[in-house]
Amino acid sequence: MLVVHEFSIAEALATQVLRHAPPGRRVREVEIRVGAMRGLEPDAMQMCWDAVTHETALAGSVLVMDMRPWSLACPACGRVWESPVLFAECSCGEVSPRPTAGDELDLVSMTVDEDDDEAAATATGGEAGAS
Amino acid sequence: MSEPVKTTRIPIVERVLEANDQLAEAVRADLERRGIFAIDLIGAPGSGKTALLEATLRALKGRRRPAVLVGDLATRRDGDRLARWCDRVVQISTGEGCHLEAGQVRDALTQLDLEGVDVLFIENVGNLICPVGFDLGQTVKVGLFSLTEGDDKAAKHPYLVTAADLILLNKIDLAPHLSFDRGGFEADVRLLNANVPILAVSATSGQGLDEWLAWIDGRSKMANSGATP
Repeated sequence: MLVVHEFSIAEALATQVLRHAPPGRRVREVEIRVGAMRGLEPDAMQMCWDAVTHETALAGSVLVMDMRPWSLACPACGRVWESPVLFAECSCGEVSPRPTAGDELDLVSMTVDEDDDEAAATATGGEAGAS
Repeated sequence: MSEPVKTTRIPIVERVLEANDQLAEAVRADLERRGIFAIDLIGAPGSGKTALLEATLRALKGRRRPAVLVGDLATRRDGDRLARWCDRVVQISTGEGCHLEAGQVRDALTQLDLEGVDVLFIENVGNLICPVGFDLGQTVKVGLFSLTEGDDKAAKHPYLVTAADLILLNKIDLAPHLSFDRGGFEADVRLLNANVPILAVSATSGQGLDEWLAWIDGRSKMANSGATP
């Protein structure tokens, strides 16, 4: 198997999600935000997530990745824009815009099943989540 | 037909590598307390990480008290090479792991007598991508590139170049035999990290080693006085 850092990250993420997940509630979706600086490959990350969560409580959960782009700043005309690639020419012709990007790698949210009591309360017109 | 399952979205916002980062902070605090300047050396396989450390350890004999942690996928060869020049070397076998993590550094440090040690070299697993995002508790990160890898490698590894406190360009003695565009390489580095020093070195001929050692001395003094560059 090809060893990639996405695998370690997927393992760390799975541990983290299980720590935060309310007991007994199935996790349907996990959302992360990834700065372009991280160089994370979405396909590799998805594959690693599926492998890491296989036959665990997180099996079948969907990994949603918010891939943040590069920000390029043109030293000639001052234009700042978002770009999926690191090196790009500015519309003014300048060939060396300065790239910056975040290196964030954050768990943003998880979506879990409502528990049975809440679901029942909702179905009968009660207030979901009311204590 | 069954009712669709009702779901709740729970916002969290927490760093995915939080656990590693916390371990790294503990390692950093321990090293700082002991006055140890720690270098995380990151470079591709074959870029000359071990050769550079051999030359560095040889040159530091009698000047500094170094210790070395060396990460390797499967063999003990790097550790054995370095043990000829330094009596405090711990090999970390990562198995399939493509990078070192803070927990491995913490565990390896317990195997070393750190009394009197003033500089710690951590040779990361040969890889320009995976190690960068994993904080080890180091004082500085050094990115090692070499002429034989080609002049486009800085541009292709922006995270390392951006995160590095120093860029070393190894195998400079081979320059006459290769068509390495040094100006282009340095321009790519500058675009990503405007002020990072770039030193050309040769682990085999010794070229540039004095500058590299002077950088280590200067930055360790700065770290011990609590100053930032």
